[in-house]
Amino acid sequence: MTDKGFPGGGMRIGLSKKGAKKFLKGLREGKEILYTNTGPRDTGQSDYKNRFTLSDMSRLVPLYNESGYFSVEVHGGARFHQDLLNNKINPFEEARMWAGRMPDVLTQTLIRSTNVWGYRMYPRNVVRHAVRAFLPAIDVWRCFDFLNYIPNMAPIAEEVLSGGKIFEPAISFTESPECSDPYYLRVVREIVEMCGGTAGIILCIKDMAGVGSPARIRRLIEAILQKHPDLVIQYHRHATDGLAIPAMAAAAGAGARLFDVTDDAFSRFYGHVPVRPLTRYLRELGFPVRLDMSRASEASDVVRGFIRHYEKFESQYKGFSHDVTEHRMPGGAFPSSFEQAEKGGFLELMPDILKGMSYGNRIIKYFDVTPGSQITWTTWAGILQRLHKEGGSPNVRRLFLILDRYFQSGERLEALSQADEHLLHRLYSGATDDLKNLLLGRYGPLPFGWPKDWVYRSAFGEGWEERVKNERIESSPLARLPDDDLEKSRKAMEEELGRPASDEEFILYLMHPKAAVDFLRFRKDYGDTTALPTSVWFRGLRRPGDSVSIPLDGKPHEIKLVSIGEGVGGVKQVVLSVDNIMHVFPVELPEAALARKAVRKANPAAKGELGAPVTGTVWRIGGKDRLLKAGDRVKRGEEVMNIEVMKTENAVKSPIAGVIREICVKANEGVEEGQLLAVIGPAGE
Amino acid sequence: MVVGYSDCDALSLHVKLADEAVRLGPSPATMSYLDIEAVLRAAKDSGCDAVFPGYGFLAENPDFAEAVEREGMIFIGPSARVMRILGDKISARKALSASGVPVTPGITDVEDAEQVIKFGDRIGWPVIIKATAGGGGKGMQKVSSPYEVEEKLEAARSVAEKAFGKGTVFVEKFIEGGRHIEFQFLADRYGRVIHLGERECSIQRHHQKLVEEAPSSLLAPEVRRKMGAVVVKAMKDIGYETAGTLEFLVDRDGKFYALEVNTRIQVEHTVTEMISGFDIIRKMFKIAAGERLSLSQEDVFLRGHAIQCRINAEDPKNGFAPSFGRISFLRQISGPFVRTESGIYQGWQVPPFYDSLLAKICSVGKDRSTAIERMRRALREYEIWGVKTTIPLLRRIMDHPGFIKGEIHTGFIEENIAGLIEYAEAEEEIFKIARFVAEVSAFGRNVHGA
Repeated sequence: MTDKGFPGGGMRIGLSKKGAKKFLKGLREGKEILYTNTGPRDTGQSDYKNRFTLSDMSRLVPLYNESGYFSVEVHGGARFHQDLLNNKINPFEEARMWAGRMPDVLTQTLIRSTNVWGYRMYPRNVVRHAVRAFLPAIDVWRCFDFLNYIPNMAPIAEEVLSGGKIFEPAISFTESPECSDPYYLRVVREIVEMCGGTAGIILCIKDMAGVGSPARIRRLIEAILQKHPDLVIQYHRHATDGLAIPAMAAAAGAGARLFDVTDDAFSRFYGHVPVRPLTRYLRELGFPVRLDMSRASEASDVVRGFIRHYEKFESQYKGFSHDVTEHRMPGGAFPSSFEQAEKGGFLELMPDILKGMSYGNRIIKYFDVTPGSQITWTTWAGILQRLHKEGGSPNVRRLFLILDRYFQSGERLEALSQADEHLLHRLYSGATDDLKNLLLGRYGPLPFGWPKDWVYRSAFGEGWEERVKNERIESSPLARLPDDDLEKSRKAMEEELGRPASDEEFILYLMHPKAAVDFLRFRKDYGDTTALPTSVWFRGLRRPGDSVSIPLDGKPHEIKLVSIGEGVGGVKQVVLSVDNIMHVFPVELPEAALARKAVRKANPAAKGELGAPVTGTVWRIGGKDRLLKAGDRVKRGEEVMNIEVMKTENAVKSPIAGVIREICVKANEGVEEGQLLAVIGPAGE
Repeated sequence: MVVGYSDCDALSLHVKLADEAVRLGPSPATMSYLDIEAVLRAAKDSGCDAVFPGYGFLAENPDFAEAVEREGMIFIGPSARVMRILGDKISARKALSASGVPVTPGITDVEDAEQVIKFGDRIGWPVIIKATAGGGGKGMQKVSSPYEVEEKLEAARSVAEKAFGKGTVFVEKFIEGGRHIEFQFLADRYGRVIHLGERECSIQRHHQKLVEEAPSSLLAPEVRRKMGAVVVKAMKDIGYETAGTLEFLVDRDGKFYALEVNTRIQVEHTVTEMISGFDIIRKMFKIAAGERLSLSQEDVFLRGHAIQCRINAEDPKNGFAPSFGRISFLRQISGPFVRTESGIYQGWQVPPFYDSLLAKICSVGKDRSTAIERMRRALREYEIWGVKTTIPLLRRIMDHPGFIKGEIHTGFIEENIAGLIEYAEAEEEIFKIARFVAEVSAFGRNVHGA
């Protein structure tokens, strides 16, 4: 299939040769339905908490490359953060792995407008910097904004369009009275204006919770195409409500050309539709669909072989959930909310929380997708836990009754009794900073206007009117955000890391400072673990004799388990044969590691904390001329301690003039490198 | 062959290879290798005829040499009298001067900082403070300005006291950009002295040699002849017996100053052996047995070029701080035109008590560039895991354009340190991954987030 017609083999070369506009022209003139396989990213996020390993993914690459997909979503969303945090994958290396081995299919990312691949609003220069860094490896850039506030997308649109890649602005979709055709047509018009026409873009309808009924979707797409007949439309839809396949068929009937799918064996409840059933149905309806069914079947078999490794990351709640049409929790956030609820011990409150969210959507109106979905979730998880604590289920039922009455009366507080009104006035009293920022317009103006005054009153308490008057902004928040001092940030990173950082490492840091540094430290200690088979990555080698072979720099290597010792003194001796040579690895058990942490390390950033420059023995506390003790004054540059190792002296000098606040070691004590020796404080305190 | 060992060396390689091994005492050197009584007792009790001190520890201690002779054994080295003259740097300077060997300007009876400041002001800064009883660069302190004198003087005295049991120091003019050239000589007890040419030892860190080669790419044949003649004459005058080295500093104008005489075999004698064909240790044994040197200076032919690299257990990235631990993996070099001498094996624990030298490797070729190429190959093969070593630094030195051109001087490493330590950590990726697998296997689950 890859050798005939458009888009044909060598898609990436085609895109770079023709440019986005010509490339999309070819697509527009073709007739086929095309797919984006979302398995590696969005399905992985929605149903498996983004834990897919590169070794599993790399088995899918050649099959995807031959399946006839338009693109594969390999990057973005929460995967970026999870890669650093848990998977210990460098998102750059991951993107390059896909791009390098999948020449016939485009790579795709999901970028959250100003939040890029993180959880806060980044200044424009950071946004541009990050996008530019990934342009070489990512072909299709799907970008959404949870307020459908298009100016927030502008820096990304400019970078992608001028970088010769495909920009795919997405409109956040849900079903509500406000989300009418005229509303969406207005949003689409803004997008088209921003992108200088329809020629270089794909428009995505982002049905991230899976709530659009087939009829609604058909109407919307028809309305958009009537106004912009040249627009290439992609329908992104989660399967949560159980109606995804008919909704997609309806969208195809209305003229949508691209659809998000996943491998059959990946399909669960919060992700996407299985590709082969959808294909069969669409073909039956007479649509030409570009897919090599047998390759798709092979890929699904591969998935079936490894998917059991991710069982423990699947949602606590299984099964389709048609009430998603009310609470609108998106696929990407659904299972992680259950996980949080279980960890927090309030799993049994989930049905009430979801119900609360459905009311919440009608009180403060925006779209439940990052970061909106997180705001809705934390807000209502908090409200429900509080109400439950204060008065159990009757209290919760009372709130729902009050809210029913409130909406039935046309959102008039006067329709409520004083006590009921009082409860609403306290409803958002535990508002998080994120919610407050949202209410003050710091993410952008809300799509359907600001909520009613009582919402502000309950969220901000006394003085709410002042805050609304003085702080609520109506203009673009991005325009007000000053550029980041990149040089300074880089210096901070390198200080923390203790070495110079590469440009790519700096991008990781800009997105997630702590996770990036932790990741780079992991890499330093444990190397690149991404070639490990999934079972070894999650559980290690089980029985003596078990082995794993790992290719590194094109050469085979082997690690074989010889034995695991009993834990003695908090340490288990693990014997491995590494390339035929035995090595003993002492592994500290968690208790011992905790005890060891008692060895205080000097904070290199704190000037007054003196750390041991080398591992050795403290042979003198003080200098040649005088011994020192806590409380003594020291001059800048004065020798505070001397560490001996292999007959060489290592003077530890005070970087500041001051008073010794604390001596943390004893003379003749063995100390390890970096161990805190003494604390010097400013004099006169 | 009998060897002595301290407690921490009980499982060391020299013990394993010896015919017989005798415990000298606890690990600290003062209680074992530096304990004259203990060493003598060990030698006598095991019926030794002679004592070979090697390099380091008691090798240059005249009291020890005397004690060995007193006990009726042969000391393989110079006589106590010669050692006394040459071992103290101050009397050595006097003796060499008297024989017509140029020495660096300096002051010998250093009492206080004021004296050093006056000297520095007169002769020009920087100056260098050295221990009179020292060796191997220990305790040397370069002083760049009068303001540092007090602190550096203290430090030099302290190290001298600790390392050599004698806190006296002397001060010399510091020759900047100077090259360290030393002449190897052999002398028998019948007055015949020959030299085996020079070695260049300019690649140093903290005044300790790291790379040595022979011959020097600096010396013109007539300078070599002149220096050699000076060496031979001085040793004849002093009445030296056995192998020794006279060290020179050669400045940018080709002027040479004697630094000191090493009254023992040196770590870097290998390069001379490789180009002269002499087995110097064997010669020392024969001379000690009373044999005559049968060869004259005309019989000494030097062929090709040899380079030695010292593999130390230290971290160049961390100011050459010593690194100790277990050698978890060792791959030695092999093949023609390289030789290796080491005291280590896989599984051995590098003790924190003594010098950090683990091994030395030596390459030889028809010319310097061939020797460098062979050294590169050898360093690429050599792998030591478990402790940080100078191997990656040496690899960078062998690739350095300045080194390749022979533009070297004693400040070479200091000057180029930023580039020289810009290497990836030597630990192999597979070993890091194995550590991860070990942890996950021990816990049965991934504790790193996943």
